[in-house]
Amino acid sequence: MAPEDNERGGDGSEPKILVFACNWCAYAGADLAGVSRLQMPSNCRVIRVMCSARVKPEFVITALSKGLDGVLILGCHPGDCHYSEGNYFTRRRGLFLRGLLEYLGIEPERFQVKWVSASEGAKFAEIVKEVTEKIKALSANRP
Amino acid sequence: MQDKLRDIVNKLQAEGAIEYFIGYCPGAGPHLVVPCFVAGEDEVERLVWNPLCLHNLSKYILQARDLEGKVGLLVKGCDARAIVELLKQRQIEREKMVVIGVPCQGQVDPAKLEKVLGVPMEKVKGVEDAGDAFLVSVGEEKQKVPKEQLLREKCFYCKHPTSFEYDSTLGEMIPLSMDADRGEFALVEELEQLPLEERRAFWQKQFARCIRCNACREVCYACYCTECIFDKKTPRWLDKPPLLPENEIYHLIRVLHLAGRCIDCGECERVCPMRIPLSRLYKKVQKDVAELFNYEAGMELDEVLPLVTFELDDQDSFM
Amino acid sequence: MRVPEVAEYARSLPNVVYVEDNLYACSEEGLSSIKEQIAKQHLNRVVVASCTPRTHEPLFKEACEEAGLNKYLFEFVNIREHCSWIHMHDSAGATEKAKELVRMGVAKACYLEPQEEFESEVFPAALVIGGGVAGMTAALSLAGQGIQVHLVEREKELGGLIRSVRTLFPAQQDTEDLLGPLVERVRSHPQITTYVGSEAETVDGFIGDFDVSIATDGQTKELKVGTVIVATGAQELKPIALYGYSRLPNVVTQLEFEEKFKEGADTPRNVVMINCVGARIPERTYCGRFCCTTAIKNAIWLKEQDPEASVHVLQRDVMAYGVDIEEFYRRAMELGVRFVRYDIENPPQIMGEERAEAVKVYHQLMGRQVVLPTDLVVLTTPLVSREDNERLSKMLKVPLGSEGFFLEAHLKLRPIEFATDGVYVCGSARYPSDIRESVSQAYAAAAKAAIPIRDGFVRAEAITAFCSERTCTACGNCVEVCPFGAIELQEGRFGETAHVNVAQCKGCGCCVAACPSGAMQQRGFDDRQLFGMISALAEEMTSGTGRQ
Repeated sequence: MAPEDNERGGDGSEPKILVFACNWCAYAGADLAGVSRLQMPSNCRVIRVMCSARVKPEFVITALSKGLDGVLILGCHPGDCHYSEGNYFTRRRGLFLRGLLEYLGIEPERFQVKWVSASEGAKFAEIVKEVTEKIKALSANRP
Repeated sequence: MQDKLRDIVNKLQAEGAIEYFIGYCPGAGPHLVVPCFVAGEDEVERLVWNPLCLHNLSKYILQARDLEGKVGLLVKGCDARAIVELLKQRQIEREKMVVIGVPCQGQVDPAKLEKVLGVPMEKVKGVEDAGDAFLVSVGEEKQKVPKEQLLREKCFYCKHPTSFEYDSTLGEMIPLSMDADRGEFALVEELEQLPLEERRAFWQKQFARCIRCNACREVCYACYCTECIFDKKTPRWLDKPPLLPENEIYHLIRVLHLAGRCIDCGECERVCPMRIPLSRLYKKVQKDVAELFNYEAGMELDEVLPLVTFELDDQDSFM
Repeated sequence: MRVPEVAEYARSLPNVVYVEDNLYACSEEGLSSIKEQIAKQHLNRVVVASCTPRTHEPLFKEACEEAGLNKYLFEFVNIREHCSWIHMHDSAGATEKAKELVRMGVAKACYLEPQEEFESEVFPAALVIGGGVAGMTAALSLAGQGIQVHLVEREKELGGLIRSVRTLFPAQQDTEDLLGPLVERVRSHPQITTYVGSEAETVDGFIGDFDVSIATDGQTKELKVGTVIVATGAQELKPIALYGYSRLPNVVTQLEFEEKFKEGADTPRNVVMINCVGARIPERTYCGRFCCTTAIKNAIWLKEQDPEASVHVLQRDVMAYGVDIEEFYRRAMELGVRFVRYDIENPPQIMGEERAEAVKVYHQLMGRQVVLPTDLVVLTTPLVSREDNERLSKMLKVPLGSEGFFLEAHLKLRPIEFATDGVYVCGSARYPSDIRESVSQAYAAAAKAAIPIRDGFVRAEAITAFCSERTCTACGNCVEVCPFGAIELQEGRFGETAHVNVAQCKGCGCCVAACPSGAMQQRGFDDRQLFGMISALAEEMTSGTGRQ
């Protein structure tokens, strides 16, 4: 992740954020946000997985290394995982990964894990707005 | 102790209890020690034990899996943690090995020795353990140097598995107790205090020097995958050229795979030809695993690896 | 979002040989076109970029199958809910995003492989949780189809909420006339086993094979069922601290009113009803749907008992939709029930210390405060979700909506199913439903719940995990992590390796993420596919090191 990574061609174009959303909760919540026509910035790209636990931490590392500006993992609230335990693994892996990335000098805002349930369309929109804003502030600071 | 070792091994061989024994032998020069596989009395004669026996021999025991009989192995207390982990990770069965524990009281760091004594390692004829000092033979002299001046960094924080049954030992297995003037994670904490950008600059500089020789992977006990993910064609996690983004991916993914399995043997840093300070990276892993998950690798046989389990009250303040 | 531009871009992607821009890809025409092009262009992968896969993916997959293309060679890209609908004022951004999402979808599609679905048997029995009108109707419907039903009711008697209701709208029919025969039919049906005073404690397993344990009569009964219907209903909101409720003895809710006067006590002379108590407020924005009807019903009844009675209904909009409820409303007014409109900023006030003696309210039409003397205040409150719903939701692995009611798979297209296969919902468990609606929904739920049982088998979606034995090191991480215990280490061609039991695998992917060697993968979500998507997304970003 060389510093030049976040300036695509130096024209200061929009940051790109990768979002993993679990099929049962987060992806449905994102759908609900869409159905409710909640508007939000267009920087996020969603990849659907069946459970947030499918997300290998290696994906986060490679995504950030390849120059993506942020990675967001969205899963079900603890206790509500469709597969009963998946999100507990996500939480643990996220906890460890966050510490590691920060130690490597990568801003904590670039990697986040959040819980979004199927009925939380508004929360999804809020998260997208918040994360995008925070990461935009980072990119702007890049030399 | 060397004699005792040779006796035990000879006896094991005579009884037909082992096919061969993995230990340390002198290398190309007297200052060099190398791992060796010995069978037969004249080979066993070459077995040595001294503060230059730096290698972690545990990894070689995996070769025993393909054999009919058992294989013998010499381990320091710290290296035994790798055996505990290999057993936990189902890589080998306890019955396949005859483990001889050697009561190590500290190993020498060759770089420190060269600096403190002002001589290149080639001039060193041997090193002996003398309680609270090392006796270093340079030329005709034997110099007595206080242990802490030459001691390998990891030895200040010597840890043995909490419970491990050796088949026999060459003495009582007690962890070395040394007063260090700094905490176990001092080097990590030093980096943690730096501002984010400086930390990033530090690691970028280090990873840029990596030539992707894979020595760290080859020497690590936990890297026993028959096909490493970095060698896979699909998906191609890494390209071959040793360029910065690739190097960073390599090291970070190795860290992810070692989280909860790194036993702090220090081999990766020892073998790195570019002298990348890998201990600063892996001690961070150990620190976080201890703080976040209350876990230390290689200590207990019946513990579950931290990243394949969870607690209902795991922290989510980071979220 | 400029769709033609996205389509044009799609044409430029590697491996894409045909692009069609269709307004309704899911229509008959759209699907036919897809089938036609599969044949004509010899396509071996299909990507549809439109709405969310959660609704129409099965439709497109079927179309592929019909055209002879394995349905797992199909990928769906969401450029509607996730793009055009949420970036309506950012056409440039939305178009860019859509292009990238399509690029990612195509990248994944290149790595998709044909799959065969695994068939598992369905145990021929159903569980109905809740013995109210919805539950009983569903149970009878299933039993009428020859299916064995286990009906579990928490109370000591069947009937649910309407046991507290005295008469039913619109004919003021005695509830017993409806309830009595219904309960009798349920109790006497040979295919229905009823457990009253019982609760479903655990439900483990999956569609076709649920292991249920019921706490009944001081013991635990274990059963196996193929499908489950949730008909647990709702409860009337008790508006503690509102309008003197629970403090003043003559302030009651509508159901309490009905219970009180069931036994035929003397009706009071002056009654004031207050509607929308605890409903349509910031803390609870929904409308209870038929509480107005209930208030009107009880108001009419009061007037019929005593034409001289003074009955006021304080309301904030009367929900009297359709033909019969509107007529009912009119009848109430003809009988002399007075409807007074109040607004949420000036709620009525109860006057009186030990008892409610009068109600002061700002009469909107008259434009002034009026004081209504009263003997009884009846609060019209909505149905709210049961406290138990949280436990049930976790037990059955089905979600709750924002108000605590059960959340169906799709409001319009799948109204009585859950995203979780094999579990269905009907009645007020989903949202406040009157008897007509509860009964219709119950029939619907029973029909749906019967299908897997009648088929005798279900096909599991082929998104299960599998292990490449050659590279498996048998470290056991996957075994440890699997929430369903679906993985075992067994002797195979390459020594001891991990084996996934496809019948038990639910396709979460926990094992894949825990596998360091990358031997464990998930069909339809394997590393090559997801990594391909990440690479495709990051493709046009310079890395500063000259590598593209």
